Parts: sequence; structure tokens; C-alpha cells
Amino acid sequence: MNEPAPMAQLSAAAGALRNWSMLASLSILGLIALLCLIGPLISGHPYDQVYRDYVLVRPSLFAHPDWAEVEEAVSAMARRMHVRIEASRDGEIRHMTLEAAKPIDPRALRAFERSDLFAPARIVASKDEGRRLAIDVPLKRTLFLFGTDANGRDLFTRVLIAGRVSLAVGLLASFVALTIGVAYGAVAGYAGGRIDSLMMRAIEIIYALPFIFFVIVLVMVFGRHFVLIFAAIGAVEWLDMARIVRGQTLSIKQRDFVAAAEALGATTPAILWRHVIPNASGPIIAYLTVLVPRVILLESFVSFLGLGVQEPLTSWGVLIADGARNIQGSIHLLIFPALFLGATLGALQTLGDGFRAHGLRSR
Amino acid sequence: MLRYFLSRIVMVVPTLLIIIALAFFLMRLAPGGPFDSERALDPEIAKNLRRIYKLDRPLLEQFWLYLQSLAHGDFGPSLHWRDFTVNQLFATALPISVALGTKAMLTAILAGTALGLVGAMSKGGIGPRLVDGAAIFGIVLPVFVVAPLLQLGFGLTLHILPVGGWNDGAWQNQILPVITLALPQIAIVARLMQAALIDALAMPHIRTLRAFGMPGFHITLHALRAAFPPVVSYLGLAAANVLTGSVIVETIFGIPGMGRYFVDGALGRDYTLVMGTVVVVAGAVLLFNLIVDLVLAWLDPRVRYESRS
Repeated sequence: MNEPAPMAQLSAAAGALRNWSMLASLSILGLIALLCLIGPLISGHPYDQVYRDYVLVRPSLFAHPDWAEVEEAVSAMARRMHVRIEASRDGEIRHMTLEAAKPIDPRALRAFERSDLFAPARIVASKDEGRRLAIDVPLKRTLFLFGTDANGRDLFTRVLIAGRVSLAVGLLASFVALTIGVAYGAVAGYAGGRIDSLMMRAIEIIYALPFIFFVIVLVMVFGRHFVLIFAAIGAVEWLDMARIVRGQTLSIKQRDFVAAAEALGATTPAILWRHVIPNASGPIIAYLTVLVPRVILLESFVSFLGLGVQEPLTSWGVLIADGARNIQGSIHLLIFPALFLGATLGALQTLGDGFRAHGLRSR
Repeated sequence: MLRYFLSRIVMVVPTLLIIIALAFFLMRLAPGGPFDSERALDPEIAKNLRRIYKLDRPLLEQFWLYLQSLAHGDFGPSLHWRDFTVNQLFATALPISVALGTKAMLTAILAGTALGLVGAMSKGGIGPRLVDGAAIFGIVLPVFVVAPLLQLGFGLTLHILPVGGWNDGAWQNQILPVITLALPQIAIVARLMQAALIDALAMPHIRTLRAFGMPGFHITLHALRAAFPPVVSYLGLAAANVLTGSVIVETIFGIPGMGRYFVDGALGRDYTLVMGTVVVVAGAVLLFNLIVDLVLAWLDPRVRYESRS
């Protein structure tokens, strides 16, 4: 009955969290996850909404439109409607006076509605048989915290939606890799002998294939659907997990409590599930923190090449590829997604380093 | 040593065979074919095309035919660039990728070793922490972020180096791609080297050398020999990472190397081209791992003796 509690390993990991750098990484991760989860709901922009009047807008803390943008839009509107527009500059509602040689058709005012800058216009007064119109045009306030992309979509919302995709792919693909790796490793380690060496030889063979090539071939096979990308990534990233679990299993199966379970007539799957895997959980968790950033990076990699998530859905890799194309003039398109990706990867890496250092010491 | 060498070589051939089989059958499972285009081809023409490229034969026969032509060093005709064979495409692409890859690896080994050495020597100071901190940057900034930033900095702002293109391998065009490829590897090699050197400098034989009053240079050389094995065993993985990175780097910098052909081939369902790249890349990785194993055995006698027993 000297089964070591897996909780002991977990509490050692929890103790490691007192380390400030790990705590900082964990808070950064939590913040990013929270932002990605609720950010798109409160940003006020759907991720695929196109604002034709706001293409490649720079990031700013103030709501658009500013006075220069209003003036430009008004003069463009005047040219299109063949009128002269005088606009006053006060508050949320713009009072404008339209003048033309011929009577102005009120339907022309729809142009204001179609613009992303103004709300529908209201006629206040009509003089000279409709040649002079006084109208009220409220401004439509829109905030683009991170600016907009080349199609006029809000980058803030897109970065967060991309974060959802990247994090989801990271977690799900890691879960796929975890399942395959743990099952494979536990079976190989517990079976031992020829089966073990055969299964490990197979891993060595797959190791020789550069992962990215394998993932791309798999994505070609599966199609470029979001759900299938993490399956493809998970299918190549389980190798290290299998090795670690096998090593753990080899040592755990020699312990007394496994022999006791065997003597009491427990079936092999039950022994693996109840005794072997829980006792290997410490190293498994430590390796998961290494696996998740690798998977996120791989997904960005594949998406960067245009082989991953497809528009209008997006991921950090897709956004960075977009930013790389527009680097001259609109560097914010590269900076923001790269910042989010980098922060996530760095935090996970620091967390993983800490877990491994403490996990190894506690064993 | 010879025995060890042979035992490693024997492993390579079946490994390569299995990889070829895996890639071959996976590709054929993919829906869509190389002759799909926006306008459907005349069924008669499509049939003829499939016959010419032997795509109408049973899958196993196709595989056998492919293996036979591979044995003759023939990768077959490209299905996408129909005026070229895959061999012709590789004849121009392979030297470019090899040049980039070897320069990146050499840069990574030299710069990484130097940085690790400096970090380990300034013990107790901020040296080791600096190296560890820099290594995090190598992980946090992926290749596809570094490349555009370098393009912007050196190409578009400072106008020192060209933004892209190959220009027949002019050295100006090679600098940015090589640096981009090498940076993450420099970070990892430096970190490994530093950790290994700190361990090595604490070993008894180094202490003995110190006690004999050997010059510092001598001691460093001995410590380096003891520190190299973990770094060398990482180099196999580094080579695979550089190959992976070259796909991105060649795409961003517009370099007509193997990586570009792989991506274009994958997008265009060019079976023979993708198969060819997989074979070449897997072969390169296996070859490099073989070299790494041999160097390890040469550096550390325990490795070859262990394999004999």
C-alpha cells in the first residue's frame, strides 16, 4: 500500500508557482485567454464586418471619425451628389447645408446611410424649392483600438478571434497528441520485450520525417477544415509524449502496487488506467506545457503558408502572414498578432521550464 | 567504430522506405487530383493524361513503378510544371537550399558556441542570465515574424540589403535569409552550450588541470570537448528545424528553393513533386542524423562500446 500519491507531484508543481516568473506567465496566459474569450463580444465589431471607409486605419485610442476624416468624407459626398455642402463643426450631430442648382432629391441622402461615418440624415429645413437643404447628420462613432486591415476589418476583434482559434487548436491538438501518446507509450512500456522495441522503432522512423512536411501532407488529405487541422497536428506531435510515458511505465510497472494489483486479478487495461497512468501524471503535465506552445507554433506555421485556417476565420499565423504582406506602411498588422503569439509562446515556455525544473527535482 | 557505422547505415534504408510508402499512400488518399482546374477537362483528355502519367494503374503497381524509378535516381515528371521533370526542378532548387541550410547551420553552431562560451565563462555574473533571456526571444519570435521585421529594417528603411529574391546567390541576397534561419538555432545552441559548459567546468578532470596550473585556453578546450556531446546530439533536430524554417524563409524572401516547390506542389496536388521533396528532405535528415551519431561516437567512446555489447 505504498502507492505514491500523484497529488504529491502536483503540489510540488503548485509550489513551483510561487516562483514569480511562473506566476507572471500564468497571469499573462489567463489574461490573453480571458480577452480572447470575452473580447470579441464587447469590441462592438463582428470579426468579418468590412468597413469600406476605414481601410488600413492606424491603431488609436480615440473613436473614429475625427474631423479630418469627416471633412474628407463630406467633400467626397458633395462631389458624388453634385451639391455644395457646408458642414458645421459641433458635437455629435453635424448640421449641414446642401446647395445645388437643381432641387435636391431627398433620396440622395441615402449616401450618408451607406457610409460608415454617418448615421441616417434627417432633413430639418428645405428652402428655395428644395435647392437648399438643412440637414442633421449624426456621426457614427467607431473605435478601432488596433486599427483595421486591408479589407477594413477591425484588427482588435480579429486578433482575439484568431486567439480563440489558435488556443483552441493548441489545446485540442495537444489533447489528441496526449491521448495517442499516453496510450501508445503505456502499452509499449507495459508490454515490454519485442512489442516494445518494435513500437519504439516505429517512433524512430516517424521521427526522421520533418513534421511540417507531414502536417502539410495530412492537411492536403483531410482538407483545410478547422476541426481537421488539429487532428493532423496532433497526429504528428505525440511521439515525445509516447517516449516519456513509456519510460515512466517501465519504472512504474516494477513497483509493488502493480504486482499487488496483478495478484488481486486486475485486468491489464484497469492496471494501466488506475495505477500506471495516474502515477506518470507529473511528467505528463510537465511535458504538456512544452507541447502546447509547439502545437500553437505549428498551427501558425501551416496557416502562414495558407494551408491552415481559411478566411474569413483567422488565426495568429494567418494575421501575421497578412501583416508581412502589408509591412510597408501598416506595420500594426504585423505587430499586434505577433505580440499576442509571442506573449503566449513565451509564457507557456517559461511555465514549462519551471514545471520541468521543479518536477524533476521532486521525483 | 566500423561496426557501429554499419549498424546505423542498415537502419537508414528501411526507414527511408517506410517514409516513402507513408507519404505515397497518404497523398493518394487526398481528394482532388493534379489535373483539376476551374474548367473541367474533356473526359477524353483527362483519361489520356491519367494514362500518360500512369495514374490509371492500380495503386500498388504505381508504388512499385515509383520505387523502380527512384532506384534509378529519377523522380518522374512534374505534374504541375508540365514542361519539366522533377529532377530538372531540383537541379536548380537543391543547390540553393543546400547553400542556405549549411550557411545557417554553420552560423548557428559558431555563434551559439561563442555565446554559450561567453555566458559560461562569466560565471556568477549576468552572462548566463543574458543568454537564457536571449534564448527565450529565439522561441518567442518565430521565423515568420523575424523575417518581415528584418525586411522592413534592413531593406525598406535602411536600404542596405535587398528585401528578397535570389539574384543568382549574390551575397547581399543571402544575408537576411541565413540570419533568419540561424537566429532560433543560435538561441538554442547557446543555451545548451552554456548549460553543458557550466557542467563540464565543474568536472574533476578540469579541476585537476586547474590544479596543474594549465593556461586558461587549454582548460577551455578540454571543457569544450566534454561539453560538445549534448550540443551535437541537438544538431540533428536543428537540421530538421532549419529545413522546416527554410519553407517559410524561401516563401517570404522569394527564393526558388526546395521549400517553395514543396508548398507550391502541395497546393497544386503535384504528387511527384511533393513526393520528391519528401524523399529528399527525409534523406537529408536521415543522413544528417547519421553524421551526428558518428560524431557523437567519435567524441564519446562510451557510445560505440555500448552499442557493441
